[in-house]
Amino acid sequence: MSLEKYEAVIGLEVHAQLMTASKMFCRCPNQYGASPNTNVCPICTGQPGSLPVINKKAIELGVRAAIALQCEIHSESVFARKNYFYPDLPKGYQISQYERPYSTHGNIVVRLKNGDEKRIGITRIHFEEDAGKSNHESYGTLVNLNRAGVPLIEIVSEPDMRNAHEAGQYLRALHSILRYADICDGNMEEGNFRCDANISVRLRGTEKFGTKVELKNINSFKFVEKAIEYEIQRQVFAIENGEKIIQQTRSWNSGKNVTEVMREKEEAHDYRYFPEPDLPKLTISVEWLGQIRNEMPELPSQASERFKKAFELSDYDAAVLTSSKELAHYFESVVSHSKNGKASANWVMNELLGRLNAASKEIEASPVSATQIAELIKKIDSGEISGKIAKTVFEEMFATSKDASVIIKDKGFVQISDPAALENAVRKVIENNPSQLAEYKAGKVKLLGFFVGQAMKETQGQANPALLNELVKKLLDT
Amino acid sequence: MLTREEVLKIAKLARLTLTEDEIVFYQKQLTRVLGHIEDLNQVQTSKEAFVQHVPSDAIPFREDRAQPFPNHEGLMGNAPAVENGCFLLPTIVEHS
Amino acid sequence: MEFGTQTIQELLEGYQAKQFKPSEVIEGYLKNISERDEKLNSFLQVRPEETLANAKKLDGRMNEVNQLPLFGIPIAIKDNFLVEGWQATAGSKVLSGYVSPYTATSVQRLESMGAVIVGKVNCDEFAMGSSNENSAFGAVRNPWDLERVPGGSSGGSSAAVAAGLATVSLGTDTGGSIRQPASLCGLVGLKPTYGRVSRYGIVAYASSLDQVGPFSKTVWDSARVMEVMAGFDDRDATSSKRSVPKYTEELSSKRTFTLGVSRSWLEGVDPEVGKSFEAVLEAFKKMGGKVIDIDLPHTRYSLSTYYLIAPSEASSNLARYDGVHYGYRTPSAKSSEDLYSRSRGEGIGREVKLRIMLGTYALSAGYYDAFYLKANQVRRKIQEDFEKAFTQCDFVVSPTSPSTAFKLGEKTDDPLKMYLSDIFTLPVNLAGLPGLSVPCGLDSKNLPIGFQLIGKPFCESDLFTAAYQYEKVRGEFPLPSIAKGKG
Repeated sequence: MSLEKYEAVIGLEVHAQLMTASKMFCRCPNQYGASPNTNVCPICTGQPGSLPVINKKAIELGVRAAIALQCEIHSESVFARKNYFYPDLPKGYQISQYERPYSTHGNIVVRLKNGDEKRIGITRIHFEEDAGKSNHESYGTLVNLNRAGVPLIEIVSEPDMRNAHEAGQYLRALHSILRYADICDGNMEEGNFRCDANISVRLRGTEKFGTKVELKNINSFKFVEKAIEYEIQRQVFAIENGEKIIQQTRSWNSGKNVTEVMREKEEAHDYRYFPEPDLPKLTISVEWLGQIRNEMPELPSQASERFKKAFELSDYDAAVLTSSKELAHYFESVVSHSKNGKASANWVMNELLGRLNAASKEIEASPVSATQIAELIKKIDSGEISGKIAKTVFEEMFATSKDASVIIKDKGFVQISDPAALENAVRKVIENNPSQLAEYKAGKVKLLGFFVGQAMKETQGQANPALLNELVKKLLDT
Repeated sequence: MLTREEVLKIAKLARLTLTEDEIVFYQKQLTRVLGHIEDLNQVQTSKEAFVQHVPSDAIPFREDRAQPFPNHEGLMGNAPAVENGCFLLPTIVEHS
Repeated sequence: MEFGTQTIQELLEGYQAKQFKPSEVIEGYLKNISERDEKLNSFLQVRPEETLANAKKLDGRMNEVNQLPLFGIPIAIKDNFLVEGWQATAGSKVLSGYVSPYTATSVQRLESMGAVIVGKVNCDEFAMGSSNENSAFGAVRNPWDLERVPGGSSGGSSAAVAAGLATVSLGTDTGGSIRQPASLCGLVGLKPTYGRVSRYGIVAYASSLDQVGPFSKTVWDSARVMEVMAGFDDRDATSSKRSVPKYTEELSSKRTFTLGVSRSWLEGVDPEVGKSFEAVLEAFKKMGGKVIDIDLPHTRYSLSTYYLIAPSEASSNLARYDGVHYGYRTPSAKSSEDLYSRSRGEGIGREVKLRIMLGTYALSAGYYDAFYLKANQVRRKIQEDFEKAFTQCDFVVSPTSPSTAFKLGEKTDDPLKMYLSDIFTLPVNLAGLPGLSVPCGLDSKNLPIGFQLIGKPFCESDLFTAAYQYEKVRGEFPLPSIAKGKG
C-alpha cells in the first residue's frame, strides 16, 4: 500500500470563544441565540465615532489558556487591524493581534491509543474579535451582527501531528483544558470551538513540506479525524497518480464523507495589518499575571494526579475520568457520597460509560445521577445486595432512572443475610446432590464451589456470598 | 510615475470605483505626493517597530459587565435595507 | 438686545444679573444664523424647535447658573461629532442622512453643564482639508472676506463663532484643523494634548492624531470649555486618567515664560505674518519673558510623516463606509464587491479618495516597512526634538499658518500646496502636544493673523496662562463686521 511511504504533516488552528458576559470591545451581551441584531451597539456595528475598550475578563481568560498550555506570556503585546471587506465585518477590519501576540511557545502532551504520549507544540495564541454572520438567501444576504465582537482566542499549533488520530487527540485535550479552566464552553455546534486544519503529505524521511491544503470549519472531533484521514489519502493518491497538490481551501462533506474544494488559492489577501491606533499596547503586569495564576481552576492533568493519589487509581483510570470536566465532576460527586473511590471508578467507567457510549450520550445526559450510583455502591458495601444483583439493578436504573432502593424493593432483590433462611437452601442442595457430597467427603474439596453455586442459584442470587460460603463449608463438613 | 495598473490595483484594494478622469487625476497626484514623501529616506531612524502615541496612564480595560445599548431603533434606523431584523444586501455573487 | 458678539463670560454675567434668559439668547443666535449664514454656508443642520425647547428648559433653572459652568451658552458642533438625534455627515455624501444613534462624550459633557447646541456645522469631508472646500455640502466662506476660505477642516466651526452665530464651537484637529481656521478667522483655537479629551463619538480620521478642541473669542472661554470637557472617559482607551485643572482659576497666575523659536520654520512665511509674529515675541519679552532659539531638525519631515500616517489610518477608519450597515448605498450594484466599490466610489469625495488610496498603498504588502513603519520612526524623532526643546523652554512658539486666509479655489488644484498651510500645526499632532492658536493682528487686507503656542504634554494650563497674559497686553481683538450684523 503506497500510503505507507508517506507521512502527513498536520497543524491545527483553533478559534475558541471566551466565556465572558460581554463582548471583547463593547458592553453588548456575549450571548448565543438572541433575535438578529439585538445584542448590538455602536461599537460592534462599526458606527462612526465608536471606539473599542478591552474587556478585562477576556484578557484574563486568554492568559489562563496560555498558562494551561504552558505558553510564554508576553508582558507587552499589540492589537492590530486586519483590513478586509465583508458584509459581516462592519468596521472593514477585524481587531486581532499580528506581529506581537500575547502568548507564544506552548505545548500540550496528548495520550495516543497505543499508550504513548506525544508533545504537540503551540506556536502562538492571540486575541481577536469574532465577525458577524451572513446568511445567503435567494433574494440577498442577511447580516446578523450579534456575534460580531465576541471575544476569541486563536490557538495555532506547530505542524507536529502526523495522522488523524494525533490531531483528534490534540483537539480533545485542548477542548478539555479550555473547558476545565472555564475559558471556553467548547460548544462546537454553536461554533464556540472551531477548528481549521492545514494538511500536507511528504515521502517519509524527507524534510521539505508538501503543498498544504486547508480544511475549514469542521464541527466535531469525529469529523476532524475523518476529514484528515480522507484528505491524507486523497493527497497521497493524487501524488501517486502523478498529479500536483494544489494549494486550496477545502471543506468536509459529512454526508458524502469526502472533502470538497471551497475555493482555489485566490490572489493573495493583502490584509494591510497595522497596530490598532485606538488601543494602547496590551500590558500584562507581573502582579496581574500572578493574580490570574492564583485564580487558576484545576486543569485535567492536575485533577488526574489528584485522583490517582486520593482514590488509588491507575494512570489509565485517572486519565479516563478526567477526560472531561463534567465526567470528573460526576465521578467526584459519586465518591463524595459513596466514600469508595475504587468502586466508584469501576462503576462509572465499566458500567456507566459503556452504556452511555452505546447510547451515544454524554455524561451530562446520564439517566443515572451521581447520587443514585453512589447509593447503589453503598448497598453493595453494606451487604444489602450482592455485586451481581447490583449489575441487574443498575441495568434497570439506566433504563428507568429509578433509585436502586425502589428497584430492589419492587423486584425483591434484597440480599439474604439471614443464616436460618440460607441454611434451608444449603441443606436442600446437599440433599439433592448425594454423589457430589460423597466425592467431597472423599477429599475432592474443590467441589465446595459447586455447592456454593447451586445454593446461590437456589436463592436466585440473593444470598450474601460470604455468609453462604461459610454456611456451605460448615454444613458439608459436619 | 505610478502606472495606471498600479492605481487600479490600489483602488481595487480600497474598494473604490474610479471614473476615467479620476484614474488620470490620481495617477498624477499619488505620484506627486509619493515623490515628496521620499525625503523620509534621508532620516536615520532606529528599528523601533511600535511607536506609542497613547498617554502612559490611559486605561484600556473595562470590567466584564453586559449592558445592552438603549437606542436599538437608532442603530437599525440608519440601515439602507433591513429584512427579518438583519441588514440586507441585495442578491450578490459570493466573493471569496 | 442684540446677541452674537458676547463671550461665555459676558453671557454668564448677564444670566447672573438676570438681564436675559437662555431662550432669549438662543433665539438671538438662531436669528443670526437664519439671517447671516446664507452668505457663509457654515451650518449644515439647525433644529430651531428642539434648540429653543432646550433653552426654555434652562429658563426654569436660572437659579442654577452658578452650578452649570456653561449655563445657556450657544454652541455649534462640527458635523463629524455624533449627537443623538442630529445628523452627522462629516461633510460627506456617504453619510448624508445619517442620524446619530448616540452622543459623543465631549458633547454630552458640555450639554450636561448647560450648553445649548444651536446646530451642526460644515467641515471638510472627513476632516480632510485646510480650506473647507472639500465639503460635499459646499465651501464655507470666511466672515472677514467672503471671497476667502475660513480655513479647515473645521471651517464651519470657526466661521460660525467669528460671525456671531455661536458663542463657542467644537472642532477636531488632526493636523491643524482647529488652529489653522481659528487663525484665519481671528479666534482662539486649542488642540489639546492627545488623550486629554475623549474621542468617543467623533468620526475618526486618523486615530493616533485626532483631538477635540474648542473655538472661542477669548482665552477664558477656551479654558472654560476645556475644564468642562476634558478628562478621562471609560469609552476611549486612549484617554488619560490625569485630573483636569480648573483652567479658568489658574489664568491669572503671575508667571514668566521662556519661548523657543525655531528660526528655520520662519523661512517662507508671508512677511506680514512674520512681522506680526515678531511683535508677539516682543510682547512676551516686555512681560518679562525670554525668547531663545531652538532647533527642531526633524520637523522638516512633518509633512511627509503626516501624509503617510494619517492616510494610512484613514484608509482603515473609512473602510466602514461601504453601504452595508448605514450611509449611502449605490442604487446600481451587481455584486457585493460592486456594492462596496460603487457606494464608496460614488459617496466619497476626491481628496478623501486620494488619501484613502495613499494610505492603502502605504500599508500594502511590500510597502509597509518603507512607508508606514518608517513614518512612525520619524514621528518618534519629531517627538524627541520637542522633548529636547522643552528642556530649554516652556513653549515652542510659531505663526499658526504661513499666510492669512487665501481665496477660494486658490489651492484646490495642488494638494501639496494646500498641505503646506498646516506646516506649523502638523508637527504638534505628530508629537501629541497641546497647541493653542491666538489672534495677534490683522494684515493689510484686514485679515486675521494668529500665532501658536506649543506646550509640554498636559500643560494646557500653562498655555492658557501665557495666552491670557498676552491677550491683556494685546487688547480686545476685533470682530468681522458681519458679527455686528453688518456686511
